[in-house]
Amino acid sequence: MIKNNTRSDVNYQKSNIRKPINWGAIGSYALMILIALIYIGPLLMLINVSLKTQSGFMRDATSLTTTLNFENFTGAWEKANFPTYMLNSIIYMVTATAIYVVSAVFVAFPIARNYVKGHRFIFTLFIIALFLPTGLIPLFQLILHLGLYNTRLGYILLFLVNPIGVIILVNFIKSIPKELDEAAALDGCNYFQFVFKIVFPLIKPAIATVTILHAIGIWNELVLPTIYLTNQKFYPITRGLIVFRGVYGSDWPSLAAATIMLMAPMLVFYIFLQRYIISGLTQGSIKG
Amino acid sequence: MSYYFGRGRSKFTPYLLLLPGLFFYFLIALGPSIATSIYSLTDATGIQGSTVNWIGFANYKEFLFMGQASRDNFAALGRTLKFCFYVTTIQFAFGLIAALLVNQKLRGVSFFRTLYFSPVILGVVIQGLIWSLFLYPLGGPVSKFLDLFGVRSEFFGGPPNVAFAFVMVVQIWANMGTTMVIFLSGLQTIPDELLDAAKIDGANKWQTFRYITWPLLTPVVNTNLILNVVGSLQAWQLFLVLVGYRAGTQVLGYLIFAQGFGQTSGSMVNSFRQGYAAAASMVLFVLVLVIGLSIQTILRRREIKLLG
Repeated sequence: MIKNNTRSDVNYQKSNIRKPINWGAIGSYALMILIALIYIGPLLMLINVSLKTQSGFMRDATSLTTTLNFENFTGAWEKANFPTYMLNSIIYMVTATAIYVVSAVFVAFPIARNYVKGHRFIFTLFIIALFLPTGLIPLFQLILHLGLYNTRLGYILLFLVNPIGVIILVNFIKSIPKELDEAAALDGCNYFQFVFKIVFPLIKPAIATVTILHAIGIWNELVLPTIYLTNQKFYPITRGLIVFRGVYGSDWPSLAAATIMLMAPMLVFYIFLQRYIISGLTQGSIKG
Repeated sequence: MSYYFGRGRSKFTPYLLLLPGLFFYFLIALGPSIATSIYSLTDATGIQGSTVNWIGFANYKEFLFMGQASRDNFAALGRTLKFCFYVTTIQFAFGLIAALLVNQKLRGVSFFRTLYFSPVILGVVIQGLIWSLFLYPLGGPVSKFLDLFGVRSEFFGGPPNVAFAFVMVVQIWANMGTTMVIFLSGLQTIPDELLDAAKIDGANKWQTFRYITWPLLTPVVNTNLILNVVGSLQAWQLFLVLVGYRAGTQVLGYLIFAQGFGQTSGSMVNSFRQGYAAAASMVLFVLVLVIGLSIQTILRRREIKLLG
């Protein structure tokens, strides 16, 4: 003890005489900034190009833009059929997420509370699903035979399941005291009312996490619209952007503007809801 | 367990309300997943109303043993393993370094954390488009930088192995944030007192990391390794956006998609061989299962040795 005290005293005196340069901190900042360049660089390039004219881009792709060619945005907005695709994406995201989250809470609550027989078995089923392969082929056959291929309904149906969300909800609901159920029931609250009016508000953080995890997944999905939607009218924005690239692939200023328009809503959400988004996506990838 | 919300018929309310969620789960997740093994034994196509015949293990035989196609399949399998190895190790290392950096008590670290995680929210389309532009071969920033050294590259349009390498770069760039956040959650469970005690005992930074931080990170090390291995074995969507279905770059995941649904879009579904694709996805599933379980076993042993 004594020895330790003296040592820190010595340090203390030293730092009083002359503040030592903190090489550790400087090195850390240098490294962090270096890594940051790989993350910011592509983004700056995107913004820079989105403001260039096509001829300016052809002359020099990298130089700082001399024009503020916002026509790229308005042009891409119309040419890429953005309003329709954006609306489709929002419809799919909102509808599927809402149905999914409500149904998931009604699955998770009785499992967490042992209100249904075989609750342990049901929970195990959801955990197993995390390790199984996605049944891409049989699912396609199913949707095809149900006559839901190339329909909005069929596409939404694909997003009504997300086992990890149920698991997050079950674990969270377990932290709510059971006495609450009893008290509410004594006050004449029925099961449905209880879950809807009392459980939902209490598990808001978990619901936010699950909602965000699911919604972002739908917004960013590319493979499923490629498989299930052939009618341009039904394209979500991700698919629309890939098609746009196919047509205007060499017109990078427009393509960059279109990419920014797809990205902007996500980035704004990310800045405001960072905590939930990071926890949602991380838990979503951990999967049990 | 006692149920408080009424007796008699109202006891069934929880079952009734649980039903939709469970139904979707069987219909869309568990059912198709299990049915993949059955479809792999048929000659199913994407044509509506066509007959589906039972053909035994013919798909597997063709996939594994028949001529040039099976050699291509094994090449794709090898590439999948290569992709998995490089992506896992590099992403793991960078994720750890990034986590250690932003876990320090320095000003502005939360900005860097936010930034490093940001690609995770963007999805493959945006990730792909951003990098197609950043690696624009005719005078893009990276191209110009390499010009200084007299190096020219076509990046995603170059030879297959070059395109393949750059897809790995984007894959790591895009997902490093998740690895970092998981490491961070582990770092935050290490009590400050322990690190202070090591400092007082005269341990330098490397020793503190080697003998205290690293062993205590074992649970998140395991999580990250498993996650990266399984994730990168199944990853293929960046190939779709960045290079398309090009000879010499395909991985198993993309091969399954191309066989089942066509190489770039689903518009010509009819001609595609879904039974064969199902067999291919069973092969990938077995690969993931075997590698995943072996790594899990090794990591368990190490954890017991380290933490008891």
